[in-house]
Amino acid sequence: MECLTSTKSGAEILLEYGSGTLEPGKAVEIDRHIENCESCRRLVAAQRDVWERLGQWTAPAVSTDFNARLYARIAKENQAPRWRHWMQQWTRPALPYALWKPAAVAAACAALAVALLVHEPRATETNPHSAQMEGGRVDIEQVANTLDEMDVLMPAPSSSSAM
Amino acid sequence: MEAIAALERDAELMLRVREGDDRSFATLLDRHRGPVVHFLYRMVQNDAVSEELAQEVFLRVYRSRATYEPTAKFTTWLFRIATHLALNWIRDGKKEKGQESLSEEVLEGVQRQIAAAQQTVEQELVYEVKLREVREAIGMLPEKQRAAVMMHKYEELEYSQIAKALNCSESAVKSLLFRAYETLRARLAHMA
Repeated sequence: MECLTSTKSGAEILLEYGSGTLEPGKAVEIDRHIENCESCRRLVAAQRDVWERLGQWTAPAVSTDFNARLYARIAKENQAPRWRHWMQQWTRPALPYALWKPAAVAAACAALAVALLVHEPRATETNPHSAQMEGGRVDIEQVANTLDEMDVLMPAPSSSSAM
Repeated sequence: MEAIAALERDAELMLRVREGDDRSFATLLDRHRGPVVHFLYRMVQNDAVSEELAQEVFLRVYRSRATYEPTAKFTTWLFRIATHLALNWIRDGKKEKGQESLSEEVLEGVQRQIAAAQQTVEQELVYEVKLREVREAIGMLPEKQRAAVMMHKYEELEYSQIAKALNCSESAVKSLLFRAYETLRARLAHMA
């Protein structure tokens, strides 16, 4: 067996071994390996030492009135009017902290997409003539009327030149 | 009924709570109060805050009884709530507020432990220093690594449970633990 400290997965196995959480079948293999591998032996010893030191840190006993305080809070909540329960449900975060960031990004993207859709300029607003040209159809009568109006606006030929 | 029989005992109790059985809630509380408070104590390193957060954990469990579905192990769900609250508390910067009382509390705890062991004065001092160094080394770990170590070492949760509690993959948990123990080995090496 090659030195386990040389690979991440191997080192993870040593970590479990040093913590005493490796399954017995595998542990026997490691027992044999560390007899001949100095670096693995050192890592295991260091991990065992850390594991032991962490074990020395005992937490204080829970307060004797812990349950009583909790039940008092529950009773208080149960006595509160229904609308307060409803409010609490709405004001309480619906997602765990870790999910707030992606949820906020997704919401921002959705809002941006909606905003772009709403404010997308319509063809008829920007170019009124395009409506007339729509489908390649031209209102011949309107064109003729326009030309007639242009004729009216043209200055009349002067009488001197006619003479 | 067969499905319910196959469920783990905690989930079964929680399903009874859902049906309105408050005695089952009391049983769950008795079974898990200690581990939850101790986990939170080691996370926030403050006695009063850990109990306050633990109260909130069980209150949330109670509030969620009507919608409870046994999709995961009960302890996984419980520690997911506890981890979420602890990480939020740490991120909110409340840690600084509780820091003053921390030293006194730790000293008190140390004194109680020492008195129980009836050690000599010199041994007491050595023990106190070592314990403080362990606590500080853990306190300096990034919060997710700290949570992973607490659940792995003290609560003996499986990788899959830790992964669900921390909302990450099992391989990510292994990496977190690997880095955390590496740091702890380096920080505590001089104590050997």
